[in-house]
Amino acid sequence: MKQIFGIPVVGALLLSACVTINVYFPAAEAKEAAREFVEKVIDEADKVEPKQGGNGGMAMLEKRFDFDPWMLLGIGSAQAQGAPDITIKTPAIQAIQARMESRFNGTLRGGFDAGALGFTSDGLISVRDAAKLELKDRVAMNAAVADDNRDRKAVYREVAVANGHPEWESQIREVFAKQWIASARSGWWYQSGGGWKQK
Amino acid sequence: MLLAMLAGPVHARVAQARIAKVTTAVATLEQVRVRLDWPADADRGTLEIWAKRVSAPDMGIAYRDLHWRCPLQRTPRNGWRCEGELRSGRAAPVRLAVDFDAAGTRAELGRGDARIALDRSAATPDLTTLDLTQVPVAWAQVLLSRAWPDARFTSGTFDAQLSVVSAAKRPLRIAGPLTLRDVGIETADASIAGEHLGGRFAIDYRTTRALAMVSVDGDLRGGEFLAGNMYVALPVSPIGLRIDAMQRGKTGWELPRIEWRDGNVLQASGSAAFGPDAGLRRLDIDVNSVDMAPLRQRYLSGWLGLFGLGEIDLHGGMDLRLQVRDGVLAVVDATLHDVDIRDPQQRFVFAGLQGDVRYSAGAPVDSELRWRSGKLYGLGFDAARLPFASGDGLLRFREDARIPLMGGSLTFRDLVIRPPQGEAGADIRFGLVLDELDVGLLSKALGLPAFQGRLSGTIPNARYANERVDFDGGLSMQLFDGRVAVSSLVLERPFGTAPSLSADILLDDLDLLGLTGVLGFGSISGRLDGRIEGLRLVDWTPVAFNARFITDAKPGVKQRISQRAVQNISSVGDASFVTSLQGQLIGLFDDFGYRRIGIACRLANEVCAMSGLQDSDGSQAGNSFTIVQGAGIPRLDVVGFNRLVDWPTLVERLAAVASGEVKPVVE
Repeated sequence: MKQIFGIPVVGALLLSACVTINVYFPAAEAKEAAREFVEKVIDEADKVEPKQGGNGGMAMLEKRFDFDPWMLLGIGSAQAQGAPDITIKTPAIQAIQARMESRFNGTLRGGFDAGALGFTSDGLISVRDAAKLELKDRVAMNAAVADDNRDRKAVYREVAVANGHPEWESQIREVFAKQWIASARSGWWYQSGGGWKQK
Repeated sequence: MLLAMLAGPVHARVAQARIAKVTTAVATLEQVRVRLDWPADADRGTLEIWAKRVSAPDMGIAYRDLHWRCPLQRTPRNGWRCEGELRSGRAAPVRLAVDFDAAGTRAELGRGDARIALDRSAATPDLTTLDLTQVPVAWAQVLLSRAWPDARFTSGTFDAQLSVVSAAKRPLRIAGPLTLRDVGIETADASIAGEHLGGRFAIDYRTTRALAMVSVDGDLRGGEFLAGNMYVALPVSPIGLRIDAMQRGKTGWELPRIEWRDGNVLQASGSAAFGPDAGLRRLDIDVNSVDMAPLRQRYLSGWLGLFGLGEIDLHGGMDLRLQVRDGVLAVVDATLHDVDIRDPQQRFVFAGLQGDVRYSAGAPVDSELRWRSGKLYGLGFDAARLPFASGDGLLRFREDARIPLMGGSLTFRDLVIRPPQGEAGADIRFGLVLDELDVGLLSKALGLPAFQGRLSGTIPNARYANERVDFDGGLSMQLFDGRVAVSSLVLERPFGTAPSLSADILLDDLDLLGLTGVLGFGSISGRLDGRIEGLRLVDWTPVAFNARFITDAKPGVKQRISQRAVQNISSVGDASFVTSLQGQLIGLFDDFGYRRIGIACRLANEVCAMSGLQDSDGSQAGNSFTIVQGAGIPRLDVVGFNRLVDWPTLVERLAAVASGEVKPVVE
């Protein structure tokens, strides 16, 4: 009997010893967050309202109404959600986003419209055809592309870290890479399978 | 041959000839057809010439389907003249006039303002002079394509007075002054481009089958060009340029002499050699700049822009020697003369840089760079010397470099820099020793509350790669009679987008009275322990941490908390207090005894999840947690109610407390 019971007990112990906790990458939420981020950068007017509701939004402030006078000095409580979510609203990310948005409208959009720039398959941008630009604009465009790529890398890293999973950086980057291309306007170029394609 | 035909027209009404190929020293004409129609009693005839192909490879001329039609007339001294339209394919016609007699040959080709005049005297048949005025550079496209197949002219005109010497068995030589106006040029991949280039040069071109030699000497006057990431905005003042180039057979071009003279700003001279693929194989160049201030705008904006340093200020002088061997940077010798480098975003300043930095891919060399003072993110540092040694492609310190900083010193040990190679960025490894930095000065420089203490520490191994610095080891601070230890330090994107710092911090036995005094938090006596794990600052602002602070009862240490501190804790911690007294009576007491104080905050996503003493026997139902556990009489507990607190609001509260804006309110 000991042996008969012994095997399952040992087996169960072994099984439990092997249990690892997998945190699955919340692909759908990441996609939604990326879409919100990218659309805001590419075109404020086309901005899609962030998903509202219990499991989609950010921590919401909630005022407490209480007669305790100390509460007047106090601060509201915050409500967090249990469902997995991808947050892109840390001040650092939003500061970068604002900078990317103004850079996009100020410089990069012209480059995309002219066909000089393209979205790369790794979530960055690149000067794919400098000849489409006036010489005087090329230096500024090269610098803007370098600046933007620095910001992009920082965003992918910070989104992963802000969500408590630095190891998601490459997945976040993939999701964003697809989103930049998906949100690209007609006529803009993107990298696909090693070559450039026009949307 | 033409003369032979012309000899006869008086008798013939129409003469025709077909010639398969006409070869001269300079040009070749193929499938030529000539027709002359001369009415019997007329004083002029009509000459028509067709040629399937005309080429003069040395002069870069190649045309197809030429047709010239003109009225042929006699001129004095037994000469002839014919002027009419010359067409080539579908291109707009040009005017061609040919005039020859016993003294020589003159031809003039023109369209609009453009004019090419050719003159050859019968006395010197080997010498032809060409006078070109307002000629579009596009007409010289074929010539450019021959020397540089990828390049094409996009705009511009030129004037030139060239003498062409072509004699059998001697090299063809073309020489004379050349003036360029508003020239644009671009390569097929747009990696090299120029616009609005102007200049005056003397050119000298000699060629045989085996060897071609060009020398260009003169001044560039305005314009801009881009080569890779190097963007040059030429000043209005003329820049001296001399290039001697030669090509043997089909090998790559060699430039035995390159000179660039831009006054005080940049003087460069050297030589270079390119491979058959036009890639740079060898370069030797000496550069001197007495006044570096205009360098950024004229020569460096393209490169600096890539590193986000497009606005950097440079002052001082510099000598630089570069050697490239087999396409690889082999030697850099930079000597700086009182150079100031200033980042307008205030990230860094180096003042009074003096000395040299020498890099070698091969044989070892030593050098030493010094500075008078500097500033890094607001932290000023004093004069220091960096003793470099280099060899085999690495740059390192040959001894420790000590930099006086904040009343103490920062010492770099065993620094090794591997410069960027191909796709791989720079890789820097070093050890750091911090010795007795004055925390008071540090706090002041960083705008922190006036902490007092000394900061020391050893980081045996630090590594910078991929815009990230990892520090092994840790730092230790003597603060408030206790100890603060910092470990697992990582700095990401130190000079880039949203610099980020991660660390774990341990606090041990800090004197709370001193700490609360500095923070202006009211006063609490006792000792404090704590840990801040997973601290992450982005743009020097905390975005995540897991912090817990708890008092540490010690024999003989009083544990009292002032009324003001109670109120501040309550306001910051969104807490209320539970007391054995009526609320109104609290104001009668200056301070209270406490048994323990504990507060914890786990920050993520802008929300601080708060908690208090872990085994809070004073805890009430639901969300509440005890922060201060009272002792003695009157007994007072501080209890928090909201576990989830909005972080920005909390920071505002803390700032208000620190600045004393929260007034004690006693009901």
